[in-house]
Amino acid sequence: MVYIPPLNFAPVVSTEVSLYRSGYPMPLNYPFIADQLQLKTVIYVGDKDVSEDYRGFLESQNIVYEFVHVESCRDANINEQMKQVLLKILDKRNYPILIHSNKGKHRVGVVVGIIRKLLQGWSTTGIYQEYDIFSGGLKGGVDLEFITMFETDLNVTRESVPDFVKLQDKTSRHEEKPEGAASQLVS
Amino acid sequence: MNDDDISVESRLQELGPSDSINVVQLLKQEDQEIEAKLGLDSGILDVHRTIKEHPGLEKRVGAILDKFYPRERSQSHTERYEEDIDDIYDVEEHREKSDVTKKDMGSAKDVVPPENFSHIVGEIYRSSFPRPENFPFLQNSIKLKSIMVLFPEEYPQENLDFMSKAGIKLFQIGMSGNKEPFVNIPSDLLTSALEVAINPENHPILIHCNRGKHRTGCLVGCIRRLQNWSLTMIFDEYRRFAFPKARALDQQFIEMYDEDKIKQIAKEKNWLPIKW
Repeated sequence: MVYIPPLNFAPVVSTEVSLYRSGYPMPLNYPFIADQLQLKTVIYVGDKDVSEDYRGFLESQNIVYEFVHVESCRDANINEQMKQVLLKILDKRNYPILIHSNKGKHRVGVVVGIIRKLLQGWSTTGIYQEYDIFSGGLKGGVDLEFITMFETDLNVTRESVPDFVKLQDKTSRHEEKPEGAASQLVS
Repeated sequence: MNDDDISVESRLQELGPSDSINVVQLLKQEDQEIEAKLGLDSGILDVHRTIKEHPGLEKRVGAILDKFYPRERSQSHTERYEEDIDDIYDVEEHREKSDVTKKDMGSAKDVVPPENFSHIVGEIYRSSFPRPENFPFLQNSIKLKSIMVLFPEEYPQENLDFMSKAGIKLFQIGMSGNKEPFVNIPSDLLTSALEVAINPENHPILIHCNRGKHRTGCLVGCIRRLQNWSLTMIFDEYRRFAFPKARALDQQFIEMYDEDKIKQIAKEKNWLPIKW
């Protein structure tokens, strides 16, 4: 049996939870996803309606499908869309998660960049490099600027947050990071 | 002194000091006799072979020879495979890059992954050569247990110091860098590297060479073969990380690598399928 992962497939987080990234899964990729990843949730950040094949596959595997409509990081309501994605990622009950766009380059690259920055505290250089590896260095300027500038406040419960996430507490937030922090905590 | 020793000595004396070729042959013959007597594999006492098969040793012996025979050595250099500039570890370059990173680091809390860092599968990671600014990331964020380096040169002392402090084990598999078309990666070396990489006892493990492109790329390609990935997607991944310096012959190596031996080992030890 030869397995064919989707375009630009890679693990993003592999701690007590698993988060993967990729392009749009096609029928050739279904055996790989079904046999190897044991997904609970798929998050699609993109602009296409779910295909018949894909819907059938996801249903047969009991995978929850979350669609977040994103054209690009220049969308008017991009902050809301990002929040929606982050809330899914901040809830460990949703794992293992696959987050995908169409080619797995730009939209997913932005989401992963924001995870690296806000949830894991990576350096900007590291974030840019990872974005470049997966995008092939194409048209990254706007996306990278967006990742750098993006800040948000989220209310999440501490118990549901996976271990890889380093959240700033609401209390320490004002002392240490006055320009805005990754999250607020409400226990 | 027993009879054998006397006979060698007397034979040497017969040959005379100028007859160096015969001396070498005589010593080789002597080695073979000892090997036969002790029931060892033939060639095991052959110093030249031992040096040649150990890239780290070969370099060190080379450096010593350079001191004594500078001209002859530089001639024989042309026979050796050329190394791609990217594959050569350059202390100065790494120091300069470290300085730049330290200057650019906005907040001290930032975690700085090494260049070309990524997850491979489970707790197996890849990157280029880790520098001091990456140490907190390796120790605290991914909590490494082992590092495997795929080059023969000596590992820098500051990295060794960090690793002993953090309790990280070092595996060194001495693959030399190549330049196309002289790509030559011994399959046995790769098999032993895979044996380290997929052994869960060593996880979390970071695999790196100099840039994390070619040697690491070949190893990752072979890990993907153990996962039964299609070659197209294996090469796609190889090229993503080797960009813009992908080598056709590295990809050929991945395609031609004979996985029977490592598959057999992995099956016996119950390492397959590799856990995501």
